[in-house]
Amino acid sequence: MRRPFRFGPRAADAPEDVRREIELHLELRTREFEEQGMSREEARRAAEAAFGDRREIESEVRSLRGRTVRTLRSRRWFDELRQDATLALRGLRRAPLFAVVALATLTLGIGANVAVFSVVRSVLLRPLPYPDAHQLLAVWTDHRSRGRAEPEWFSPPEFIDYRDGNRTLSGLAAYSGWGPNLTGNGDPEMLTGGAVSWDFLRVLGIAPALGRDFEAADDHPGGPPVVILTDALWRRRFAADSGIVGQAIQLNGEPWTVAGVLPPEFRSPFPWQILRPLRRPVPDPCNRGCVTLRAFGRMRPGVTIEQAHADLVTVAERLGREYPDEHGGVKPWLIPLQHQLTGPVRGALVALMGAVGFVLLLACVNLAGLLVVRAGGRLREFGVRAALGAGRGRIVRQLATESLVLAVAGGLLGFTAGTAGARVLAALVPPNVRLVTDVSTDLVIVLFTIAVTVVAALLFGLLPALQGGGTGLMSVLRSAHAESGRRVGRMRGGLVVIELAIAVMLLVGAGLLMRSFVSMQRADLGYRTEGLLSVAVTFPRSRYPDPGTAVRAIEGLLARAGAHPEIRTIEATDQPPLAGGGDQDIAVFPDGRALAPGDRAPGLWYRTVSPGYLRLMEMPLVAGRLFTPDDRQGALPVGVLNEEAARQLFPDGNAVGRILTTGLDSTAARITVVGVVKTARPDGPLEPVKRELFLTLSQFPARGVVLMVEPAREAAGAVRAVRETLRELDGEVPLARVSPVDELYAGVTQLPRYFAMVVGAFAVAALLLALVGVYGVMAYAVSLREREIGVRLALGAAPGGLVRWLVGQGARLTAAGLLIGVVAAALATRVVSSMLYGVSALDGVTFGAVTLLLAAASLTACWLPARQARRVDPVEALRGE
Amino acid sequence: MAGSDLFTGSLDLLILKAASWRPMHGYAIGRMIRHWADGVIPIQEGALYPALHRLERQGLLEEEWGISETNREAKFYRLTPSGRERLRDETARWKAYRRVMSAALRADRRPQVA
Repeated sequence: MRRPFRFGPRAADAPEDVRREIELHLELRTREFEEQGMSREEARRAAEAAFGDRREIESEVRSLRGRTVRTLRSRRWFDELRQDATLALRGLRRAPLFAVVALATLTLGIGANVAVFSVVRSVLLRPLPYPDAHQLLAVWTDHRSRGRAEPEWFSPPEFIDYRDGNRTLSGLAAYSGWGPNLTGNGDPEMLTGGAVSWDFLRVLGIAPALGRDFEAADDHPGGPPVVILTDALWRRRFAADSGIVGQAIQLNGEPWTVAGVLPPEFRSPFPWQILRPLRRPVPDPCNRGCVTLRAFGRMRPGVTIEQAHADLVTVAERLGREYPDEHGGVKPWLIPLQHQLTGPVRGALVALMGAVGFVLLLACVNLAGLLVVRAGGRLREFGVRAALGAGRGRIVRQLATESLVLAVAGGLLGFTAGTAGARVLAALVPPNVRLVTDVSTDLVIVLFTIAVTVVAALLFGLLPALQGGGTGLMSVLRSAHAESGRRVGRMRGGLVVIELAIAVMLLVGAGLLMRSFVSMQRADLGYRTEGLLSVAVTFPRSRYPDPGTAVRAIEGLLARAGAHPEIRTIEATDQPPLAGGGDQDIAVFPDGRALAPGDRAPGLWYRTVSPGYLRLMEMPLVAGRLFTPDDRQGALPVGVLNEEAARQLFPDGNAVGRILTTGLDSTAARITVVGVVKTARPDGPLEPVKRELFLTLSQFPARGVVLMVEPAREAAGAVRAVRETLRELDGEVPLARVSPVDELYAGVTQLPRYFAMVVGAFAVAALLLALVGVYGVMAYAVSLREREIGVRLALGAAPGGLVRWLVGQGARLTAAGLLIGVVAAALATRVVSSMLYGVSALDGVTFGAVTLLLAAASLTACWLPARQARRVDPVEALRGE
Repeated sequence: MAGSDLFTGSLDLLILKAASWRPMHGYAIGRMIRHWADGVIPIQEGALYPALHRLERQGLLEEEWGISETNREAKFYRLTPSGRERLRDETARWKAYRRVMSAALRADRRPQVA
């Protein structure tokens, strides 16, 4: 039976097919009747009668046919898909080198994205671990109209006014720091904790796992002294004894009853181990000018942050009218709690996602290049298939399936690598970026992987698929191997230019971040950080009720430890540098004069220090003198300003000898300025400078100080010496937070270092990928031109000149890539300029170094395969085609 | 639907059997069935086509295009592997059915039932 070639049923043909089928039946039946002797018309009528109701049958069959066609088509489509996938896998097995390179590239690109996204997600995107966390806000006061750029804390009366006067918050809780000494069972230990308003946990939405929460009655000075422990502290110090509830523990020498223990999964927004109610005294000596509380609140359901802000503004305006000196011009400043806690990291993580996106782009471009070459080698195969009747769509579909198989394999590998990489990334995050919760893998990560894989597949698969489908039979017959090869080569060259450009961008970014980190490291903070230890010590009120006795104890400690052979110098301050916030400030009146109406009393950030502190910290003296041991209680109260303060408070000239008062009445303290030191950066290189005032400990006592210790020999001996001396003085007072000061400084720069490292790693990966791309293009070009090279060699060309000629071709690609890359980098680095320290976003050194590095590497990658040109045997080359 | 005295299942079986030797178009299958029916059971000829298409949809027959006696492109039906399997199973069932019916209807005397 002869068979015409038909591609397959189409639903549109159904009615016509059915009609023809039935018409054929009737025609043949008519002939049968004719053979029995009937005339044509009689035979036809008999045939139709024997058939039945043609119209009804035809319509039934038509609908049946329609459904059949659809079923057949989809079955056939799936069969073809399965065929293509099998072919694709077989093809990969037959070209193992290509498969390995392709999969490795994809795994790198997809895996990097999955890893970074996992970390970004758990830091930035996952809501805080509290119920309805989107309702939580950090609440500050806005003193920008008074010249304070940063959000400001509350004073206790101010906080109460906001708490009671708002209508949009279901709760507003306050907190401040608390560092009690825990004594009793085991070594004395200084804890880190918080003094909180009684509804603190309720506003967060957390309840203790054991015992009870704080109540309003606890938050009075006369109320029972109760504390709540965190789970970690309870397990470590109290052996997870559930009988601890209701028991008293010794804090700062006084008994505090444990009211409750927090659940283990509770993640405090602050690194606290213990909580106590604020119990602010009434009347509160900390009045409206004394800011000591921080606050956060929860919006009522359905309230937006704009509504809450407007509501709090009405409170602020009322306060401004009633207390114009303290609160005039002050507004509320609301920040969603999530932003508040992740703020410093946010910009950098977004930039990281951008960087890793470029790595994926680079990987896909590389892979596209590989596939283009591979497809170029199969042009003949496609041409033959087209001649055999496979439609262009069918070929494109086959190539797309191959890309899909690669993409799926790459996606699976990338997912595995990415989730492992995410754990590594998270583990390396510096510990002071607190809120990196566990990086877990879940549905969102899976969906993200799928999305990235699809994007990658489109990026690298589209080009070769279109290329293969566009092949005509003619071009194959024309034996256009060389020509199509050149076209492939050009395409690949274009891709490599893109790769080089991306590599330039990433390298420049990494270079800038690294230079920025290095200059931060080397930054002159204005004081000494090397060879010093910091040790925290607090003399509690219970044993030293009078602040004067605490200071005498400190002075005694300094004197005795200073005499110890293990210690060269030891001084003290109540506010060490690089402590990460919590500074104290005070408003002063220069010369004790009243202010012009409308002026505010300038604020100074102050610290109390031991007499030799400024000298130990090597803070250069600019005018007057430093402190001496004679500046003590009973003598004239003195202070030392920094240059910034001196300039602003006494713009007309010499600050030495002038007076500062803390108020305008006779009870205010009068401080005589005896010296001026150079302005320093106590908070680290990235923070702005402040107006600072130094006072002496003996004149302005403090209980809790940080000792700055310069060891005579090595750190361990010095710490031991301090501990022994302290124990001789008072065995109940512990040391806490011993750390070298330069580690504190490193702590400030940890995050920039982390980002520089990660981006650097990506940049190196990008560089390697790009170099592989360049090498591949060159090698391919050389193989294409073998014949041409053979001819030249046969005609007497010098091999060295040939190599130079080939490398010259590669140099053009390199130059193009570098040019585009430099321009793109110049535009892109603007994005990260806010993260850079001491280096501009258009830093010439970095751009220059990257350009040189990439040019050298790229030319080497060109030169290596070009060398093969020497080995071309002219005879072989001319013969083979 | 215009039916016949043949149960639909029986018609399907006859169609499968008819197509089991070589691909045939609808008219040829119909003529073979008429030949077997031998005028004993009247058959509505058009009823064949819905049955053919239904069997095709179920995957027991598949279409093949060829040239008919009238020198035109025509649709031929071919048995698929699953069609062959169904033919085998149904034939076996029919044979068993026939044995039972023959044995029951042949008896002259009332049989002894244990």
